[in-house]
Amino acid sequence: MVKMSLDPVQVKELNVSPSPNGDSRASWEEEEVEEEEEDRLGIATKTKPVSVTDLSSVSPSLCFRLAARMSRTQKLSLPDSRFPFQEASDRGSSELFTTSLFKVWCLRCPPVAHQWGGASDKVTGRRARKVEGGVFFPKPENAVTVAVSSRVLFRTELEQRVFEQKGVEEYLRYQIEHENEPFAPGPAFPFVKALETVNARLRELYPQSEELFDIVLVTYNHAHVGIRLINTINHHNLFIERFCMTGGSSPIGYLKAWQTNLYLSADADKVREALAEGIAAATMFMTEKLTEVSESQLRVAFDGDAVLFSDESERIFKAHGLDKFFQHEQDNEDTLLDHGPLKGFLEALGKLQKKFYAKGQRLDCPIRTYLVTARSAASSGIRALKTLRAWGLEIDEALFLAGAPKGPMLEKIRPHIYFDDQMFHVEGAAEMGTVAAHVPYGVAQKHNQPQKPGARK
Amino acid sequence: MEMVSTVQNTDVKQSLQKVNERLLEKNPAESLLFDVVLIATDSQQQSSRIISSTSHYGLEVGRFCFSSREDLVETLVVNNVQLFLSTDRDEALQVSQKGVLSALLGRQEAPSESLRVMLCGDAIVRPDCDPVPASRGAAQSFSARLGEMRGRFGVSGSPLSIVLVTSSGGSKSCGVALQTLRSRGLSVDEAYCLAGAPRGPILSLLRPHFLLGDGVIDLED
Repeated sequence: MVKMSLDPVQVKELNVSPSPNGDSRASWEEEEVEEEEEDRLGIATKTKPVSVTDLSSVSPSLCFRLAARMSRTQKLSLPDSRFPFQEASDRGSSELFTTSLFKVWCLRCPPVAHQWGGASDKVTGRRARKVEGGVFFPKPENAVTVAVSSRVLFRTELEQRVFEQKGVEEYLRYQIEHENEPFAPGPAFPFVKALETVNARLRELYPQSEELFDIVLVTYNHAHVGIRLINTINHHNLFIERFCMTGGSSPIGYLKAWQTNLYLSADADKVREALAEGIAAATMFMTEKLTEVSESQLRVAFDGDAVLFSDESERIFKAHGLDKFFQHEQDNEDTLLDHGPLKGFLEALGKLQKKFYAKGQRLDCPIRTYLVTARSAASSGIRALKTLRAWGLEIDEALFLAGAPKGPMLEKIRPHIYFDDQMFHVEGAAEMGTVAAHVPYGVAQKHNQPQKPGARK
Repeated sequence: MEMVSTVQNTDVKQSLQKVNERLLEKNPAESLLFDVVLIATDSQQQSSRIISSTSHYGLEVGRFCFSSREDLVETLVVNNVQLFLSTDRDEALQVSQKGVLSALLGRQEAPSESLRVMLCGDAIVRPDCDPVPASRGAAQSFSARLGEMRGRFGVSGSPLSIVLVTSSGGSKSCGVALQTLRSRGLSVDEAYCLAGAPRGPILSLLRPHFLLGDGVIDLED
C-alpha cells in the first residue's frame, strides 16, 4: 500500500465575489472538500484535493512545481480511463471530482465580478450600430479572422430539408419567398456575439488598432439567399460586414485569401479540407439544449491532444494502452509536443489578451481560455504544460481530468465554444448544453463513431 | 447584342461562343445572342493575319473592322456596340469617357467553364455621384440585357455567371446592390463583400473575364 503524502499548498484564500455569469458555484470557489474514500485500488486516502485559489501566489512555475512534486510522491500507476470516476459523478457531486487522484486547477487569473454597469451597457446600447470611433474594417492580415458558414451562424434546418427534398431551384425560390423572415440563431451565434463584445472593449482601449476580431460569413450558398442573410444579420444586430457567397464552388480558396484564423462550418468535408490547408477549422452541430453563456466575457475551451497538440500521444495510447502512454509521457517529459491545428488560434487569442493586460485589465479581461484535457496533472499533464510554456502561450485555466467525463466540467465553465477531436466528447458536452465543435484531426478519426447517424449534413 | 474586342483573348471569345451555343440549343430562334466584332486599330496588324488567326482558333467572329485610333469611338457607335473589351487601359478609358461601356479583359490562366462577368457593386449603390460617369446609361442597359440572357438558364450549369463584388461598403450596401440589380432583372450568382479588404487575393480566385462598373476598373489590383 502506498501512502500518498501530499502537503496541501499553503495559499492565502482570495475573496472573489461570485461571477454574475450565471454560474451557481464557479469552480474556483469550491472550498477544499475533504472526503475519505476507498478507491479502486483499495487505498484509503484522506487527501484534500489540491485546489489553488489565490491569484497572487499562483504562477505558471508554481503549477509546474506543484505538478512535479505530485509526480514524485505518487508511486501508483493510475487506473484506466474514465470508469473509476463514473461513481463520483453518479454521486451527484458534479462540482468537484473528489477522488484519490488529484486534479489541479491552475488558476493564473481567476475571474472577477464584472462591472455590469459599464462595458455591457455600451454593447447593448449599440442597437443602432453607429460607428462610435474605432476601426471597423480591419485589414485581414492584422485582424483575427473568424469565418463562419451560414449553417452554423443561423438555424437553417428547414431550408436544408427543402434543398434535399426538392432541389436547388425550389430551395432558392423558398429562400426568396421568405426573404424578410430572419433566421434563428445557430450554434455559433453566441460565440460570434462574444467576439463582438471583445471588439467593443478593444476599440475602447485601442481606437486606432486593427487587431480585432473580424467575422466573415463564408457560405457556398447562392447569392439569391444573400438578401435574406443580410436581413438576418441586421435583425440580430451582428457586425458582419464581410462575406463570400460562392454560389456552389468551394470556399476554401477564399478562406486563405481572407487569412482566416478559424473556420466554423456544419460540413465536415469542408472542415477537413480547411485543416489540410493549414487553417484551424471545426465542425459545429446544432444542439437542442443550450446553457446560458456570459455576454461580457468570451470563453474558449480546448482539448489538449490532437487539438492544441499533435496526436502523437493519442496514437501511443490507442496502439499500446494507457500504461505505455504514461510511460512514454514520463520519458518524454522534456520533449515538446508537436503543435496541433488549433494552436494558432490560441496564439491569436493570447495576443489579444495581452492587449488587455497591457492596459491593466488582467483581472477584467473579456477573453478567457481553458484547457480541458483527459491528461492527468501529475504525470502526463506536465508535458502539456511545459509545451505551452515553451510556446509562450498562456492559458487561463487548465483542467486535468485524468479521464473523467468532460461534460460536467464544461457545464460549469460555460465556454462559448469547446474544441475536441473526439465525437464522444463533443456529444457528451452537447448533452449537457455546451456548444462543442469537432476537430476532425488525428488518429481518433478512425475510431470516431458518432452516436447519432447523420447528425447534421 | 454586340461586343467588341481588339485582342486575341481566345478564352473570352470561346466562352461567349459557348453562351451563344447554349442559348441556341434552348431556342433555335433566339435573338438575344452575343455578336462579336473584332476591331483592329494597330495599322501594323495585317488584316489577313488577323482573319486567318481567328479561323485557326475556331472563333466565330461576326465582323471584322479596321479602324484608326482616332476614329475608334465613332466606329463603335456606328456599329451599335454595347460593350467594348480591351487589354489596353488607356484605350478603354478613352472609349468609356465618350459614353460607350468598356471593360478591361482579365488575364485567364486556365480555361473556365463559364463566362464570368463581374459587376462592381460600389458603382451600383452610388447613384448620384458627381460627375455622373458618361457610360452609366450604357452600363445599366447592358446589365439588363445580361440579366435577360442569364435568366434563360437555370441556377446550376449555366454558361454565364454573374459575380457581384463590393469593395468599400459594408454588408448593407451589398444588400442594396443585390436588390437594385434584381429590380433591373439581373440576378447574381455569387456575391462578395470586401468592406475594405484588399481586392487582389479575392480577384485572383474569382478569375472574371471582365469587370463592369463605372469607368474602367483595373482587374489587377
